Amino acid sequence: MGLDFVGQGAGETDGNIITTTIDKVVNWGRKNSLWPMPFGTACCAIEMMATLASKFDLSRFGSEAIRFSPRQSDLLIVSGRISIKMMPVLKRIYDQMPDPKWVISMGACASCGGVFDTYTLIQGVDQFIPVDVYIPGCPPRPEDLIDAVLQVQQKIASGAAPKGVEVVYE
Amino acid sequence: MNEEKDVEEQPKPLVLEKLEAHHSDALLAQDEARGSVVLVVRKDQAYAVLEYLKTDPELAYTYLVDVTAVDNSQMESELMQFDYARFMVVYHLYSYQGQGRVRVKVPVHENDLRITSVTGLWQGANWLERETYDMFGIDFEGHPDLRRILMPDDFEGHPLRKDYPLRGRGERESFNFDKQNV
Ligand code: SF4
Repeated sequence: MGLDFVGQGAGETDGNIITTTIDKVVNWGRKNSLWPMPFGTACCAIEMMATLASKFDLSRFGSEAIRFSPRQSDLLIVSGRISIKMMPVLKRIYDQMPDPKWVISMGACASCGGVFDTYTLIQGVDQFIPVDVYIPGCPPRPEDLIDAVLQVQQKIASGAAPKGVEVVYE
Repeated sequence: MNEEKDVEEQPKPLVLEKLEAHHSDALLAQDEARGSVVLVVRKDQAYAVLEYLKTDPELAYTYLVDVTAVDNSQMESELMQFDYARFMVVYHLYSYQGQGRVRVKVPVHENDLRITSVTGLWQGANWLERETYDMFGIDFEGHPDLRRILMPDDFEGHPLRKDYPLRGRGERESFNFDKQNV
């Protein structure tokens, strides 16, 4: 983690001083308090609800504080089919979330349209919003969603920028 | 026991008896499918028949279950039977008076897609007719608010028609991001 305890001897400060960098502390905080914005439009949302409920209990990983306001959340979970009428809504919600923000595309439909290769269904939300983690499956099991949240956490801890952020190296 | 014999012995449904007495000229065909009476009714008398089915105290089909349509353009047998009417508007009714279900089908020609709205009889027909308009382009005359209900307002075409391509005409790439009420 980069959080190091300082001191070996018997002094008063032993084990009470931590050296680290601001980035690491901030990322550590972010990673353990992801607030998801659920965007459940179809059957995948049922599995998302199961993930949040007591049996699978996403709160073990610090992500149980579901926010129904995009302005208070930093993890967008797109779970379900997105139609051409819904995509502008999803884009707007994504735009309303404060940076830094991450996106999970849950299930076959959100990731690539799934079996619904029809006139009205978006064939993958990543055409319009940046996606950090994709979950395969129809529907994915709650464990898969938990795994995706953990992958987002790893990404945050590693200091990598969210997919939606353009990083300018100087 | 012989099942066929059973069917034969069943009395004629009351709805058929009464319609033959009161609206015999409106009936184009009749059938029975999955335990419900199926009636095919002339378009110009469809409203009168539906009103009769609803208001007659013995029949009292007070519940409009569904309004939808069928595009028969690739069903040669159906087309021939009803004077090459491309669409069939279908009403599903239910009676709480013990008469059960009845299905009323109305042939609609492609060159005249107008049909009288039944929102005056059942308020619940409002959204059902909007959906039928959205998907098939049937023009319900007298409907208070005949707008698209499922597809975006600026969508062109009627996607449940058989000649509409399954993967659309490029709407997935060119839909409007800004004009929508989001
Ligand atoms: S991927 Fe499967 S479960 Fe998920 S929304 Fe699509 S059809 Fe439903």
